[in-house]
Parts: sequence; C-alpha cells; structure tokens
Amino acid sequence: MIEVLGRRPALTLSVCVALFLLISVLPVNDYVLHILTLSLIFAMFASGWNLTLGILGLKTLGHHAFFAIGAYLSAIVAFYGGVSPWLTIWAGAALAALAGLLIGLPILRIRSMPHVAIVTLAFAEIVRLIFSNLKDITRGELGFWGIPPFDPVSFGETTIRFGLGNAWGSYVLAGAFFFAVQAGLLLLLRSRPGMTFAAIRDSEAAAESLGINLSTWKLAAFALSAGIVGLSGAIYAHYVMILTPTSVAGPEMLITLLAIIIVGGAGRFFGPLYGALLLTGSLELLREFGEYRMLLYGALVIGFVFAAPHGIAGLRIGRLRRRDRRGTRERSSAA
Amino acid sequence: MTASLFLEMVINGLISGSIYALVGSGIALVYGTTRVLNFAHGELLMIAGYLVLFFAVTLGWNVILASVVTLALVGGIGAAIQRVTIAPLLAREDWAFRVIAATIGLSILLQSGAQIVWGEQFRTLPYFFDGVVSLGGLRMPVQRLSILVIALALMGLCALVLYRTGLGRIVRATAQDAEAALAVGIPAGLVHTSVFAISAVLAGAGAILLSPILTVNPWMGVSFLLKGFAVVILGGLGSFGGAVAAGFLLGLIEAASVTVLPTEWRDVVAFTFLIAVIWVRPNGLFAGREA
Repeated sequence: MIEVLGRRPALTLSVCVALFLLISVLPVNDYVLHILTLSLIFAMFASGWNLTLGILGLKTLGHHAFFAIGAYLSAIVAFYGGVSPWLTIWAGAALAALAGLLIGLPILRIRSMPHVAIVTLAFAEIVRLIFSNLKDITRGELGFWGIPPFDPVSFGETTIRFGLGNAWGSYVLAGAFFFAVQAGLLLLLRSRPGMTFAAIRDSEAAAESLGINLSTWKLAAFALSAGIVGLSGAIYAHYVMILTPTSVAGPEMLITLLAIIIVGGAGRFFGPLYGALLLTGSLELLREFGEYRMLLYGALVIGFVFAAPHGIAGLRIGRLRRRDRRGTRERSSAA
Repeated sequence: MTASLFLEMVINGLISGSIYALVGSGIALVYGTTRVLNFAHGELLMIAGYLVLFFAVTLGWNVILASVVTLALVGGIGAAIQRVTIAPLLAREDWAFRVIAATIGLSILLQSGAQIVWGEQFRTLPYFFDGVVSLGGLRMPVQRLSILVIALALMGLCALVLYRTGLGRIVRATAQDAEAALAVGIPAGLVHTSVFAISAVLAGAGAILLSPILTVNPWMGVSFLLKGFAVVILGGLGSFGGAVAAGFLLGLIEAASVTVLPTEWRDVVAFTFLIAVIWVRPNGLFAGREA
C-alpha cells in the first residue's frame, strides 16, 4: 500500500489542506483562484478514475462518460426542475454510479484488457452522442447555458456566492468537496477495501483463492469510481454554468484526464492532484499558444510513458527509496 | 420498403462496411500477431488522406501513381511508429496499458500536428471514376461501387498471402508464439514491424478510397478508429476473417438503422450493438482461428 499512498499519506493530505486554506486567506487574484478551482475539479475527476485505472488495475477509458452524466443530469434537474444544485449534484453522482454499475456488468465477464478499454470507450461515445442528439433538452452542440450556480450560503453577516465570477467562493467549495472525497478515499484505502483492491490488482486468481468475491468488489469499485467522477462533473457544471457534449465527453476530455493521471502517477493516491495542478496551471501559462495545447498533451503522455511511467508521485518515492538504501548502506558500513 | 430502396440500403451498408473491414482487419492483424492495440491507427488514415491529396491535387500526379506512392509512404510510417514508439515499450512491465497510453498520446499529437500544418480546412479529392451504374431503378456512382470492389480485392489478397504462402505461415507462426518462432529462425521483430506496415497500408487504402466522397481533415481517423475497434471485438479479437465479416455486418446494421432512425443516431446503434454482443458473447461473434 505504501506504493499507492506514499509515506504518511494523512500528513501529506493535511499539508495540502493547510496550503489550500492558506491560499484562501491570502489576497490571491481571481484568475489564479479560477485556475486552482478547475485544477481541484479535475483532480477529483482523476482521483475517481484512478480508483479503477490505477488502484484496481482495470484499464477503463470511458470515464468522461460519467463526468458528462453527472454534469448534464444535475444541470437538467436544476434548470428545468428549479431544484437547488446542492441537491441535484447528488442525483448526478447517483446516476453516474448507476451507469458505472451498468457498464461494469459486461466488463466483469472480460479479463482481456483491450476489451475493457474499447467497450468503455464505446460507452463514452454513446453517452456523448445521446446528449448531443437530445437537442430539445440539452440544445446539443449549441451548448446548454443558463445552468444555475450553487445557492449562496450566509453565515450571519457574510454571504458566500458561487459560480463563475465568484472566484473565492467557488475555490473554497471545490476544495471542500475535493478534500472531503480525498479523506474518504484515504480512509477506505487504508482499511480492508484498500487491501482488497491491491490484492485484485496484483493477481485476480490469487485474490479469488483467498475468498475475495471479484465480481462484487469490482462492481463496487466501479460504481464508487463512477460516482466520484459524476460528482466532479456536477460541480463542474454548476461552476462553469455552460456545457457542450464535446467539451465534457469528447476526445479532448479523455486526453486531458489521461495526461493528468499519467503525468501525476497512475495508481498513486496523490498523483491526480499533482497532475491536475501541474497541467491545468501550465496550460494557462501557454494560453497564447492555444493550438499547441493538445500537441503538448500528446507529447507529455508519450514522454512520461517512456521516461517516468509512475509519474511525478512515482518520482518522489523512487528518490526516497534510493536515499533509504544509501542510508542503510552507510549505517551497515559504519557498524 | 420497395425493392430498389432495400437494394440501395444493402449496397450502402456493404460500401461503408468494406471501409470498416479494411480498418478493422488491419487492427486485427496487428493485435493477432503482436497483442498490441494501436490507438494511432486512425491517424494513418488521416495521413494517407493528406498524402494522396498532396500528390494527386497539389502536384497533379496520375491517381494510380499517387495512390501507390501514398501506400508505400504510409506503410513506412506505420513501420516507423512500431519501431520508435511501440517496440521499445514491449519489454517493460505493464506494457499493454503503456502501449495504449503512448499510442493515444501519439494519436493526439498527430491530429494537432496535422491541424497546425494543414489548418482546419476540409478538402476533398475529385472522383477517380466517372459514370453511374443503373441497377433496376437504382443509380449508383461507379466511384462508390469501386470502394467495395477494391476493398474486397485488397482483403482477398491479404488473406491469400496470410493463409496460402510461406510468408503468411511465418506471420501466423509468430502470432502463435513469438519466442518459439525466434527459436526456429524467424525474425519475429521484423515480422512484427512488417505486420504494422501491412495494417497501415490497409488503412491507407481505406483513406484513398474514401477521400473523394468524404473530406480530408485532421480528425477523419477518430470515428474510423472507434468503428475499427468495434469491428475487431465483434469479430473476435485478433481474427482477420472475423474482422472482415464483422465490418460488413456493422455496415449493414448502420445502413438499416438509418432507414428507421434519424442519421445522428446511427453510431449510437452501432456501439450499443457492440456492447450488447460483448454482454452475451464476450469472445465476439466469430471467434475462430487467429491471424
């Protein structure tokens, strides 16, 4: 588990939370807060996907479908039903988890990785086409605009507002959701389910022989992962307040998230956060070179696959290990 | 439905099916021999489309000459992709997923590269063949029919080489067990590279046949890649004949769906069919002998 979580994951997470809170009290400009908000939302997406892709070892490629389902369902219910986004996001997450169960069922029967990759990719394409074809409800590629932001929250005198244009509130909200999900995942991974996931990833046959019910565990992991991704999609929808099927479920979303996970470190608990911060941040710096953006992402994915397959999170562990080894050698030579 | 409408539906299905079969059989050949899933396969189509456009329109070469040069170049590019990005990864742990990730990266790299080099304008080639065939009230341009005929001839040629020649035996032996093939003196690495070249040529042929009736653009490979994958899975992963049969089946299903539903639901029907089949028959419809 140390390979997944790193050393002292709770401490690392606390440091991240402290940094997050520090930034929230500093006079940071709205543009930086906007970038951080997007990073946190994508980091949540990536950590949900990482659960199946990296930690369980099921190579699924269609998680942008769950992002789109969460985003669109929450937006549709809030927009047409007039329900508060504070409630609709849970409906979005629940439907995404249900869709995860649905697509998880045929995948359970397949052990071959190419099948899993292609079937999940085909599922994402179906979802994108459905949202793009239901023009009466979603306005298709013209864009679903007018999605309400989260309702303002008042504490006595102060009122916190959310949505694009209210950078501080949105940043705090995205952070609160992200760190709540991370804390929950950390608890989960450090207890029995985490061990079970690791056992399944290392050897399905061995795990099964120890009495682990593969179908149940895989389905549960799939639904949880899809639910987290759906929740991040719903938060995204009420933050940016406009959706198009291509922007949430198109190939660009796939490559962006794949790059975040691979650059951050697939199967590493903190990989998604590092990857999202680095890529979303550097992307904004390169805004002027807009047309080179996808070129850069493609090159980054190839480069990391070759040079650092465990991503940034993996690099740190590699260095720690080497230092450890050197430390023990010095100690033994001294003795 | 009148007889001529039905006939038109079947012929249209076979025409688009033949392209799916060309793309899918190439993917199946590569997967069957090397167990590699190449997500940059669609970009070979796109590159071939731009190359034939360059030779036939910009330079004004004869269409046949332009096609032959394009196919040779695309075969070379396919081999280069295998040598540079895929072969070095095969020796590492967890290579199957790394190859998928690296080829997805390559695919995006090539798409945005094409967008920067050639821009976003959508271009079309003039028809290679003039004339229209009349078949009992149904009029079909020769250009469209030629797609079916040429694709069938190419896949027939491939099957002939695979199953009736010494070269084909070498490929099939490598597919069964690369190490054992090496032990009896077959240069397995070379076979892997040449299989990539062959699959690139098949995709390139598909692009050349399509370029007069579709537009050449940086993203033209994406939809064909997904369809090609669907075909490969339906046909039983790695089976050449299965992929060809599944390609035509998928084309026919799409053509039939268009007569009932609006066109924009066509791909939804195709991919739903794929998932339904996987649910019932995880090994595909025609699980049989491997490439």
